[in-house]
Amino acid sequence: MTKLVYEKPVISKITAGIPSKFGLPTRQKFIPDIDGIPVEKIMEEYGSPVFVLSEKTMRNTFAQAKQAFETRYPKVQFAWSYKTNYLNAVCSIFHDQGAWAEVVSAFEFQKALSLGVNGSNILFNGPEKSEEDLKLAIEHNACIHIDHFDELYLLIKVTRELDKKARVAIRINLDAGIYPIWDRFGFNYENGEAWNAINRIMLAEKLDLIGLHTHIGTYIMSANAYAAAASKLANLYMATHRKFDYWLKYIDLGGGFASKNTLKGAYMPGTETCPSFDEYAEAISNALISSEIPHENLPVLFLETGRALIDDAGYLLTTVLANKRSTTGRRTMVIDAGVNLLFTSFWYNLGVYPTRQLSSHLEESTIYGPLCMNIDVIRDAINFPQVKTGEKLVIERVGAYNMTQWMQFITFRPNVVMIDLEGKMHIVRKKENLDTLTSLEQNPKR
Amino acid sequence: MKITEDIKISDNGFVFNSRTGDSFNLNPFALELMKNIEAEKSFDQIKTEVMEKYDIDDLSFEKDFYEFCALLKHHQIVLQDNPLDFK
Repeated sequence: MTKLVYEKPVISKITAGIPSKFGLPTRQKFIPDIDGIPVEKIMEEYGSPVFVLSEKTMRNTFAQAKQAFETRYPKVQFAWSYKTNYLNAVCSIFHDQGAWAEVVSAFEFQKALSLGVNGSNILFNGPEKSEEDLKLAIEHNACIHIDHFDELYLLIKVTRELDKKARVAIRINLDAGIYPIWDRFGFNYENGEAWNAINRIMLAEKLDLIGLHTHIGTYIMSANAYAAAASKLANLYMATHRKFDYWLKYIDLGGGFASKNTLKGAYMPGTETCPSFDEYAEAISNALISSEIPHENLPVLFLETGRALIDDAGYLLTTVLANKRSTTGRRTMVIDAGVNLLFTSFWYNLGVYPTRQLSSHLEESTIYGPLCMNIDVIRDAINFPQVKTGEKLVIERVGAYNMTQWMQFITFRPNVVMIDLEGKMHIVRKKENLDTLTSLEQNPKR
Repeated sequence: MKITEDIKISDNGFVFNSRTGDSFNLNPFALELMKNIEAEKSFDQIKTEVMEKYDIDDLSFEKDFYEFCALLKHHQIVLQDNPLDFK
């Protein structure tokens, strides 16, 4: 006689409160495969935890963003935000799709060069550019986005010494009607600082001012904020033309488009609330096209969105290590992927899913990572079915920032695998080992 | 381990504690266990029956059973065994 399927005994307290307007899901979502490859198979081959990137999703998302903007505005150029994910395999895909490189350090600059990006197709942002970094950028004819007056004067000095011209833009901070206002980067629009910087640059013999750049924030859920920013940059663009009889080449609206992840504290899921590429494109294009700028002199629109292009393409596969009960009776679960790998878990309620249909009986649980540190919490509260140790889980939408802001802490960083368009798996970053780490260390002899 | 007199269990797994006013839901297997506990069956007796009926090994069941019992105690559904009984 075949035995019945066992299900762990569960008792859940019924608590009174405001009922959820969404009710309970009729079916628990599960992710059995990524691009057709069973999760089980990926983990068998590459271990646990393991990051998985989908080339197909990356290319499809890029195509959607491109289409949204190119159907609304005549001149659009994307620049891949290296800090979002600078794995060579990832950058190469976006460059192959036609994106320039947007870098914020000499390290990223060199990475872009090593990947074959032409120096003149690199936007060099950020507040940290040393004299050597500026020389490197000038030698490669990159577009240097000046962040502050000290950098501007250093650049004037360097160009004089090198007797070479530098192509520059300025980063501008402005009030786009959202909170918080990011005023720590660039020159302020409202108080005239940006206009002063433009005037100083136009007087510098060796500086070619070619663009205006802003980056209003991160995970911006209002497309209208971009319209406000675009209008202000269009004003400066026209003011520069009127005073100097000169047309700048581009306006760079930066990044900050929200991905579909859900922010902590948000009532509605990100999939419902985040604007689509079409909404951002509509707001920005309308603002530029309806500005004073004559159609024949419209600038190239640069976009440096990173998060929205890659978040969906990244997964972290993990394994359940233990089930526990807290002193309050709350269910807790320990998995083998911690906050050292998931920096974004500090601000998102990341989606954690089983790989197969489990019990329909869900219990509110806390998911901990494996680190011997109290802060290692992946989810404070998630309705989750009962799972045994060894059960495989999938954490979705982790493509942005996690593979650059991750920390080597307590344990090694895992393999990163990419699934190509033909469904083949490739390691794009190997799991670390003791040698990876100790090779950089020196132990003084005593 | 004994279920307190204040506890009422319905056939569909709804549990009500008339002393505290708390109510609970049981999944089908938890309901089956509660019935066994109510019938004052020993752990070994329950384990044998469960292993005959379900696809589960003894250690996994033991772990789940004691976790379940701890929750019953936490929710004041079962009485604590006599703490002075050192047998």
